[in-house]
Amino acid sequence: MSDNAALVALLTALADDELILGHRHSEWTGHAPHIEEDVAFSSIAQDEIGHAGAYYSLIAKLTDQATDQIALGREPSDYRNAVLCEQPNGNWAFTLARHWLYDHADDIRLAALESSSHEELSAIATKLRREERYHLLHADSWVQRISSGPVEGRARLIDAMTEAFTDAMGLFEPIELEEAAVKEGWLPVPSAEMKARFVERTTTALDDLGLPTEVRAIDDRAAEFVASSSGDLIENAAAGEGPSPLPIAHGLGGRKGRHSPDFEILWTEMTSTYQENPGATW
Amino acid sequence: METYEVFRRSGHKEPFEHAGAVIAPDPDMALMMAKECFVRRREGDHLWVVKRADIHSFKDESILEIAADKSYRFASAYRDVIQKREKALVRAQELEQKT
Repeated sequence: MSDNAALVALLTALADDELILGHRHSEWTGHAPHIEEDVAFSSIAQDEIGHAGAYYSLIAKLTDQATDQIALGREPSDYRNAVLCEQPNGNWAFTLARHWLYDHADDIRLAALESSSHEELSAIATKLRREERYHLLHADSWVQRISSGPVEGRARLIDAMTEAFTDAMGLFEPIELEEAAVKEGWLPVPSAEMKARFVERTTTALDDLGLPTEVRAIDDRAAEFVASSSGDLIENAAAGEGPSPLPIAHGLGGRKGRHSPDFEILWTEMTSTYQENPGATW
Repeated sequence: METYEVFRRSGHKEPFEHAGAVIAPDPDMALMMAKECFVRRREGDHLWVVKRADIHSFKDESILEIAADKSYRFASAYRDVIQKREKALVRAQELEQKT
């Protein structure tokens, strides 16, 4: 383990979130609700993958590896993205709810990282945040219109939002070696604090939009989890230490390399070209 | 009086392009003024006038700036693909000769 291990762990989680969500977003290319949105959403997918590239390049520099090797040459259990990012797109409502939740979470995260003690990471955060402003505008514009639009779209969005909101908590599951990363100032705000900011911001926004803020209760503790913002119970249960292990649907485990079966399918497709000839340059 | 932005088309297959603006009380008057101001020397075969207040723009134009690397959207980023392909063809031929 190098001195940089905690920094690499942090960058890996950030990069993997962006790569995997970008990959999911890209699956809409050619299928989005209308042609202009198809182009817009595909651009966002490219942006997210580009952001992953910025983080991977820094990891490559720190660990003396090739960027492609890090992005596409690892085993599924080496990926540290939140489970939310790997969930299949389902319908447009779920895609949109996830996009909205993720980009608000990412904004909170990037705002924190702008004051990272690691200069290169701080510079990346500032750069990416400029582009993420457009993602937020895009997500907010859609959510605002659908939440005040016809009842079918609104009902679908409510369903999707309650489903995605539970999983979004996984974005703030502590990363590996987080204590060290916080101590060094690489991660200036601990995940738990960012989660509190995220819950406050999104529940306020959902209230303003007239959308319900409860989450779909897979069991009672799921509801309690968000209501109290206290992750301990869920944390233990997800680790198999609680009385009844919770399903992965709670969105936790990703930061420890535990993924849903859907991730394996995504990984196989995403890495298939790379695996054909791992050393090739494109 | 209102400000109207004037768009002019220089030919059948050309796009409308912004030519300037006129001040007029209504769209018909704006068209008349625009004809005299902007198509007086056969610069175009079609005119649009749009009330400036009906034009929308980003409040903060910096959102249009490209923040991250977007080289993959430019053909120039793929210039070396041709050389790579030629090299690959040579390699393939060499392999074929060996077998």
